Amino acid sequence: MDCLQFRRQLMAEPRSHDPQLLAHREECPACQAFWLRTQHFEDQLEQAMDVPVPAGLADRILLAQATDARRRQMVRRRGWLAVAASILIAVGGGTVMWRQAQSHSLPVLAVAHMPKEISALALTAAIPDSMVTEGFAERGTTMRGPMPLHVTYVHDCQVGPYRAVHVVSRVDGQPVVALYMPGKMTDKPEHFSRGGWTGREIPLNDGTLVVLAQHASPDALDQAEAGWRMAIDGPGGPSLTSI
Amino acid sequence: MPPVHKDVNSKQRQYEAMVRAWSADLYRFAFWLCRNEALAQDLVQETFLRAWKNLDALRDAELAKPWLITILRREHARLYERKRFDTVELDDTVPEDTAWASPERSGDAAHVRDAMMKLPNKYREPLAMQVLGGMSCDEIAAATEQQPGAVMTQLFRARQRLKSLLGGRAAAEGAL
Repeated sequence: MDCLQFRRQLMAEPRSHDPQLLAHREECPACQAFWLRTQHFEDQLEQAMDVPVPAGLADRILLAQATDARRRQMVRRRGWLAVAASILIAVGGGTVMWRQAQSHSLPVLAVAHMPKEISALALTAAIPDSMVTEGFAERGTTMRGPMPLHVTYVHDCQVGPYRAVHVVSRVDGQPVVALYMPGKMTDKPEHFSRGGWTGREIPLNDGTLVVLAQHASPDALDQAEAGWRMAIDGPGGPSLTSI
Repeated sequence: MPPVHKDVNSKQRQYEAMVRAWSADLYRFAFWLCRNEALAQDLVQETFLRAWKNLDALRDAELAKPWLITILRREHARLYERKRFDTVELDDTVPEDTAWASPERSGDAAHVRDAMMKLPNKYREPLAMQVLGGMSCDEIAAATEQQPGAVMTQLFRARQRLKSLLGGRAAAEGAL
């Protein structure tokens, strides 16, 4: 290392402990003097750059951080509250809508209709098939198959907002009610049990059949459903008739 | 949930320790970047707020100071990108021995400070990183995305310019 390199490096890194730098310093008196002056200047420079720090700076920084953290926490909390409120409103609204929908469901309407026609359950004498056919015809439904056995009652009724044919048949000696609502379409069959009545809601032809009974076995409901399905849809069923 | 609570507390403790340890040095560095006390305080405050938000990125306590300096430099660049007027060009010749000798004979810290204030930012910044941040040329080069040789030249020129400024003042006062 020569004197020029020594001074260049020292001017860039005055506090360097580079062995080559230190070795040249030891062997060159002029550069040793230069090194001493440079160290002295560096001391002055450090002293000059050591400007006074405003009192309480660290505390102000911590206060700003704490305030920012708290503000963010509040924003997050408000966000969660908004989400919670939205969920509450959605659940509440959903519940109200569900209850409203439930109150207009066919099983509810069917069971609510039963007290008006409760006396029909006591009838045991079979009525002619022609009466049954005529009852359905009045509601615009043409029967395609044979009537179920032992139909004891037929009447045109209003079930909620729906015009219905109300029929009762005896299955294994027990009365089973069938309400057929032409034009009332449902998506899929559903079973229900409410108010002491067990039943099922069945999409059938261009309407919906609700079969229900008190204390009747599932087998009795199966028989009643099959009987009315055959009578309304015919022997070929919906797929055959639609071809 | 005790583990989360504990974690938050340890993060807060780490942050407070970092503020107590480095806020003064960072303020001085900020001051020499912007040469304005109020702005330096704002810069430091903003730097520490950003540090708080990104504290999880700091894996090694030894790297806290250069990490903070890097954040502060970015904050400064955002604030003052359009306000730089550094147009002074300096030659890089080694001055005569008398000129080298002049600063150490020429004044106290206040005079050196005045000269520092007149240094262009491109020299003042690496000088502050070295003197106040204790960073080596390689570290400054890494932080400023430059070659180490370029940083050495900047530091050389920074001191050369500083001594020239102090020499001129000393000469005017008849100190040389």
